[in-house]
Amino acid sequence: MKDLLKGSVLPRDNDSARLLHPTRRDIPGRDRMRRFAHDDEVDMLVIGCGAGGGVLAQRLARAGWRVCVLERGPFWDPEADWVSDEAGSAHIYWNDVRIVGGKDPVQMGKNNSGHGVGGSMVHYAGYTPRFHPSDFETQTRDGVGTDWPITYRDLREHYARVERELPVAGQDWPWGDPHSYPHSPHPVCGAAERAWHGAIQHGIEMRVGPVGIANGVFGNRPHCIYRGFCLQGCKVNAKASPLVTHVPDALEHGAEIRADCMVVRIEADASGKATGVTYIHDGKECFQRAAAIAVCGYSIESPRLLLHSSGPGFPNGIGNAGDQVGRYLMVQGAPQVAGRFPELLRMYKAPPPEVSSEQFYETDPSRDFARGFSIQTISPLPIGWAEHVLADGHRGAALREYMRDYNHWAVLGALSELLPQPENRVTLAGETDQFGMPLVRFDYTQCENDRRNIAFAKQTLHDIWESAGAQDVLTIDRYAHLVGGCRMGTSPDNSVVGADHRVWGTDNVFVADGSVMPTQGSANPALTIMVLASRLAELLGRKQLGATHKGAYARAVR
Amino acid sequence: MTHDFTKAHHLPKRRGGQDQADPYDLPRQRRGKTPQMHGRYPDYDVLEQAGAWDEPTRAVVLARVDDVPEREFFTAAEAATLGAFCDDLLAQHSEPRIPVLAFVDAKHAAGKTEGYRYADMPPDAETWRLVARGLDEAAGGEAGAYADIDSDGRERILDAFSSGDLEGGVWAELDVSRAWSVVTRDALTAFYAHPWAWNEIGFGGPAYPRGYARLGIGMSEAWEGEEAIHPDPVPDVKRKGLE
Repeated sequence: MKDLLKGSVLPRDNDSARLLHPTRRDIPGRDRMRRFAHDDEVDMLVIGCGAGGGVLAQRLARAGWRVCVLERGPFWDPEADWVSDEAGSAHIYWNDVRIVGGKDPVQMGKNNSGHGVGGSMVHYAGYTPRFHPSDFETQTRDGVGTDWPITYRDLREHYARVERELPVAGQDWPWGDPHSYPHSPHPVCGAAERAWHGAIQHGIEMRVGPVGIANGVFGNRPHCIYRGFCLQGCKVNAKASPLVTHVPDALEHGAEIRADCMVVRIEADASGKATGVTYIHDGKECFQRAAAIAVCGYSIESPRLLLHSSGPGFPNGIGNAGDQVGRYLMVQGAPQVAGRFPELLRMYKAPPPEVSSEQFYETDPSRDFARGFSIQTISPLPIGWAEHVLADGHRGAALREYMRDYNHWAVLGALSELLPQPENRVTLAGETDQFGMPLVRFDYTQCENDRRNIAFAKQTLHDIWESAGAQDVLTIDRYAHLVGGCRMGTSPDNSVVGADHRVWGTDNVFVADGSVMPTQGSANPALTIMVLASRLAELLGRKQLGATHKGAYARAVR
Repeated sequence: MTHDFTKAHHLPKRRGGQDQADPYDLPRQRRGKTPQMHGRYPDYDVLEQAGAWDEPTRAVVLARVDDVPEREFFTAAEAATLGAFCDDLLAQHSEPRIPVLAFVDAKHAAGKTEGYRYADMPPDAETWRLVARGLDEAAGGEAGAYADIDSDGRERILDAFSSGDLEGGVWAELDVSRAWSVVTRDALTAFYAHPWAWNEIGFGGPAYPRGYARLGIGMSEAWEGEEAIHPDPVPDVKRKGLE
């Protein structure tokens, strides 16, 4: 029965796929969107319209809350604003300068930071794996990292619910908590097929997916056309991002999404009650009243905003009494190894994410490090491929030669779980930006466990290509993703928010994005960010929050 | 000269320490342009597909061919040095060249940034100017000196730059490896954003709204270029039915 239904069922409580226009690609409902006045106290003001903010806004709007979302970037129109071109897509990334330091500084921008309605999911590859149950208790199980104040069980139903909304396509999943997906796996391109065969020969199991790309009928969302430009924004509307999966439904239920608005301060009184936010739009400073605030700006901007929102009750920033804001920021080690084959593979076709393995996800006592990594196929376009070749040490005629060989190569990437460390953090730098806000400084240094994990993962990728009979290999070291920075915990001494996402020491400020994650596993974070926001919306709806509330916020939760 | 690209003997790491394969042995481009007019897909011109692209994409890509930006950001002396540097980095030693530095200049004239800056580095635009000075210092001192020394000398400087081994003068105040990463990123982006480079490597290019249909190993869309792996004309002519 489950197989008969595959691909044919729309989510019950999200009409986004039906609301989209069958042939136009812009987002319906913008012209008749509700507009709140500045002095109108909205029930929930959401800062940032990405994976966290988009889902939270949709859920709360549907539940009857008066929701206003302030988004720093534009309200995208996929048809007009995005192009099938690498260099022409620079405008979809967060390009404002962040200062990066530490011993292993992390490059920001196109690799990990989006802006505009849809957030970083506009340019993510599309992989949507779940976290494993072990991710929520790495301290107990493995003696590293920390335990979450919630468990996998708290998120399980939300995983299934969000997977249906994206929808996720993939084979039945054997790892972590075994589960199946609403859509069947996509066809596998030649390059990924090469990788898959190599893995099998090397004794590694891989599965097709999981990707948030419709594979079959799904309301008015078109089928994927395998054009390969997932990282440049899906012009087709086939790849899931909140822009197409949650925003249409949020608008339909009365949410306002106010684009091109940079929030610079949360205004709160000394008792911990926020009254609204100050933001900049068109160079003008505005104030929006709100009964409650959800910060959904991701791992750099959320801590930055909290740190910058100092006031009489919060001399070091909101939620920062225990000096926790900005700490335990994580990236994943993401080395990539390319293998060369006799046939033309033309890896630019089909979505870059195709086949993956979580066989090495958990701690294995036979290895010399805790936790693990995942393996995924990935398909750089020419500029990405040039960076890969250069990183392997080739320039001039040698670089051109490897570039001309582009169509013979396939690429495997690893995602290594790097551990949360207090000194890997966001702080405010001395310089200010065009909004008068201090620039962010992000320091990052790997620990010994991190280095061992990355080295082992890289060797495994090499071994796969050797088993596959690759004629040559090229390697690049890099990072991917961001999580942490406002982590969820049990007290203000070890975290920024509690299990209910409420910022310690405040009455009505929440954080609902990737920054709350205490650990990251070796899964791409987008799905879990959405799932956390979905859970928070449920808690807010049921008023299952950790403390009693008074005043305006209590009215909001009704 | 025989080319068999099913084997990997032509690849730099597989040549057993021999010199670089001479790209001028490759087939001459017969359709469209490639940088220096050699490539692996001599009868493929991605620009012939422009009619199948969506309008915003077409505008962005064709502008790179039709509207090369005028120099605005770099001084003439900086441009001489950096232009020679980009030519060396990308082995563009004859026409037609992709005007790499023009696109880099336009980026920094417009004040565009990449979303990060190393704590111990100046802004990227400033790094480019410092690299120009540093290359000239390494080449003897005068502004524009790098462009005037012989190719062996430039190769030595480039080699030291890429391995972080330049010292003294400008290089004392600049992290050499990070400077290398900043300038190569911009130069590679400008080069491989250009459709002539796509012709050279056989990249299918933009594919919306048409999409790709033939995804499997060894498969190509009808309009995609064939790789020139059969230089022996006898079987080739037969295969193509040209007898």
